[in-house]
Amino acid sequence: MTSIQFFQNPILRRELLDRLRSPKTMFAVIAVAVLSSMLVLMRWPTDATIDLVSQGSLQVFRPVAFAISIAIMMLIPAFPATAFVTERRRGTLTLLLNSPTTPTQIYFGKLCGNVLLSILIFSVSLPALMACFAMGGISINGHIGPLILVLVGMSIQYSALGLWISVRSQSADASLRWTYAAVLALAVLSIGPTVLVGKLTGLKSFIAHWMTALSPIPALQQITGAQAQAGEIGISTGWLEFLVVSCLISIGLAIATLLKLDPLLLDRPRPTGKIVDGTKSGGWMRRMTYLVDPNRRKAGIARWLNPVMVKEFRTRKFGRLHWLLRLVAAGGIVSLLLTVVAATGTVSWGVERIASSMVLMQVALLLLLGPSLGANLIAAEVESGGWQLLRASPISPIRILVGKLMSTVWTLLLLLLATLPGYVVMSYIQPSIGGQVGNVVISLLIAIALVTSISACVSAFCKTTAVATATSYAILLTLFAGTLLVWLARGKPFGPLLVERTLLFNPAAIALSEMKTPGFEQYNLTPLGWYIGIGLSIVCIVILGFRTHRMTRPD
Amino acid sequence: MSDHVLETKNLTKRYGDFVALNDLTIHVDRGQILGFIGPNGAGKTTTIKILVGLSRPTSGSAFIAGVNCSESASKIKRLVGYMPDRFGAYDNMRVHEYLDFFGAIFGISRSTRRKRIADVMEITDTTYMQDKFVESLSHGMQQRVGIARTMLHNPEVLILDEPANGLDPRARIEMRQLLLRLASEGKTLIVTSHILPELARICNTIAIITGGKLQAFGSLNDVMGRLCPQRSYELQLPTAAQLPKAEEVLKQCLLVTEPVTVSQAECVLRFPTVRTELELAEVLNRLVTAQVAVSQFREVASDLEDAFLSVADDKQPAAVA
Repeated sequence: MTSIQFFQNPILRRELLDRLRSPKTMFAVIAVAVLSSMLVLMRWPTDATIDLVSQGSLQVFRPVAFAISIAIMMLIPAFPATAFVTERRRGTLTLLLNSPTTPTQIYFGKLCGNVLLSILIFSVSLPALMACFAMGGISINGHIGPLILVLVGMSIQYSALGLWISVRSQSADASLRWTYAAVLALAVLSIGPTVLVGKLTGLKSFIAHWMTALSPIPALQQITGAQAQAGEIGISTGWLEFLVVSCLISIGLAIATLLKLDPLLLDRPRPTGKIVDGTKSGGWMRRMTYLVDPNRRKAGIARWLNPVMVKEFRTRKFGRLHWLLRLVAAGGIVSLLLTVVAATGTVSWGVERIASSMVLMQVALLLLLGPSLGANLIAAEVESGGWQLLRASPISPIRILVGKLMSTVWTLLLLLLATLPGYVVMSYIQPSIGGQVGNVVISLLIAIALVTSISACVSAFCKTTAVATATSYAILLTLFAGTLLVWLARGKPFGPLLVERTLLFNPAAIALSEMKTPGFEQYNLTPLGWYIGIGLSIVCIVILGFRTHRMTRPD
Repeated sequence: MSDHVLETKNLTKRYGDFVALNDLTIHVDRGQILGFIGPNGAGKTTTIKILVGLSRPTSGSAFIAGVNCSESASKIKRLVGYMPDRFGAYDNMRVHEYLDFFGAIFGISRSTRRKRIADVMEITDTTYMQDKFVESLSHGMQQRVGIARTMLHNPEVLILDEPANGLDPRARIEMRQLLLRLASEGKTLIVTSHILPELARICNTIAIITGGKLQAFGSLNDVMGRLCPQRSYELQLPTAAQLPKAEEVLKQCLLVTEPVTVSQAECVLRFPTVRTELELAEVLNRLVTAQVAVSQFREVASDLEDAFLSVADDKQPAAVA
């Protein structure tokens, strides 16, 4: 295939040109350009000398590299994650598959469109990278070139991942949720075994070593000259390993997606629903499990319950009781496992550090589930046509809003409660930590309020679930991960006061500070951080309230 | 206050300079079915939205069972069952749970709701699908569930936007029977549809609206009589050979306002006319005298589509009762 034929692929042209014309793409490009330029400007040395050997330029280069990587992680998966599932729901995938365009052309049109878009997004940061180069101390071959390769590798891997999940999903929001979960798992959880368990031997060591290669973090650490820090926690992979693994994963995902892009395979029967009678067959085991059996006919909604809340739970696949129980059980098991690690001294971490890992795990779960739940609340209703029916009913806007918000808050609270046993055990091991745990729980409750209110607020202004979910993820990741970029650049140029003021907006940082996590112990973030979190949540809920009132009143 | 269950007086809705609805005055009595006809963008949905309290008129008023639609929107929502053109499906929800939810948001108690759901499912013949997932239902099934949903709170008036849209012939017949049954039980129905023969079969009253303006309103016979005063006649010949001769004779007998159209393939000549039966007998006699072999000479019944097209083309108010 020649390059002209490649660019004549109608899918590629549509995917790329349509997005390039979109104001949202323009906004993303400008945001990345501004962010990378600002970081360089802020860290630009004040003395007019070229530094060929010191770490000065790396101190500028490091936050820029991490910022672009986070931007790629936040922005790129959203598009492929909705690519096939949206086409299938609209019925246009059948039209495409019935056209002379082959599944391979469709797939590579979508993949390349997305990768080219991400290249465009991070290419606007090239002037900032070249400014780092001009400062001296970093090279094209050793730093900028590998960084660009890693960013391209990330784009291909996350695009292939999003497309694979999209072709298997039934709804856009489920696809987005699973894609972001998979990106999180690939980027962060993959380094968990090496970091948490420490020194392994034999096959386990080999597997753990290559698992760290799934994550771009070790690659970025190597490129930005922070490999010594990575080595301290047992990570020894670099950018070459990441590229190899990234290519293999992308090829595997491409094959798996292409195998699924078959009109016959897509012609799946719709689930028609099956109800079983728990009293007729089976023994006590059957009757016990029948209590949470998804196929059990549900009783009517009780008068004391908010019907909108019950509806929200029932319409979510993971909102059904059996899934909530599984979620809570998994959260409880992970938190207890972390505590066991601390108690048995498998690694030389103190209780505070293990508790910090738990905080990070909880925040990661909140960030994973919260935006997709919150962003669904109103956008999904508008998209499905259900909002019109709610408007035509006598239920008040306040009741609708309370029902919807509580459906998300209860889910996230259950998740938080599930991880509390770990804290209880730790408080038992080290009674002095009790007060800190209390403050951490308050911070996490504020995190729940913030995640719910922001994502619900975003949802009220979006017409489609996919846009609402992607926007919520972007805003919340900016709030929770973006503020940590400033913390990452603490010392120079950001003084302790600026870092502290930035971290006040991040409830996760407040929780980590309360737990005296290394790097956060010097900041005094409570109670001001709590007030800011509560204030932001109230502002979002007030905006949401006005918006909901506006959406329910007669035109 | 009048005895009409539904009444609009000079209802007007403007969006900036655009007039979506212009001075609409209609009324419907209890147990009647009003067929609301108009091309896309005619103002049907705007009218319906005002009637169900989702939109406020710029001027004029609308009443359902004596309640002002724009001033008492919460009361209206209990008096009206509204089925929009979009079904409003929820994922992972079974039909029974779906109806239970809508019963709950209308504040129906759990015990009453259980009985009411059973009743409406029986009326709409949806009991067998109560455990199916809503999103897995076919379009026809969803339309039935949609009607069941609108009936849950036992409203006086049912407003159904395109209930027969996308249904297969069998489902359409079943839908027609269902609507007639609801009307016989005392419900007042407002039905919009693009399938005019369907409406003609079930509606007592017809309202034709184009460009936001009411073009015709009244009983089906009244509207037809006013909009289609000319009768249409058809002359069937055994072969096409005599078609020119027959056309020549007809043109000699008829006026220029009664143009003759010829279908070679069907061996048929058609013409509209306002002539009496005696005058038409004379036309037939002239044909026979001219030795034109006539196999059939008959009146073609006008239908609602003709009536609709006559006003849709003119876009001028024609016949408001």
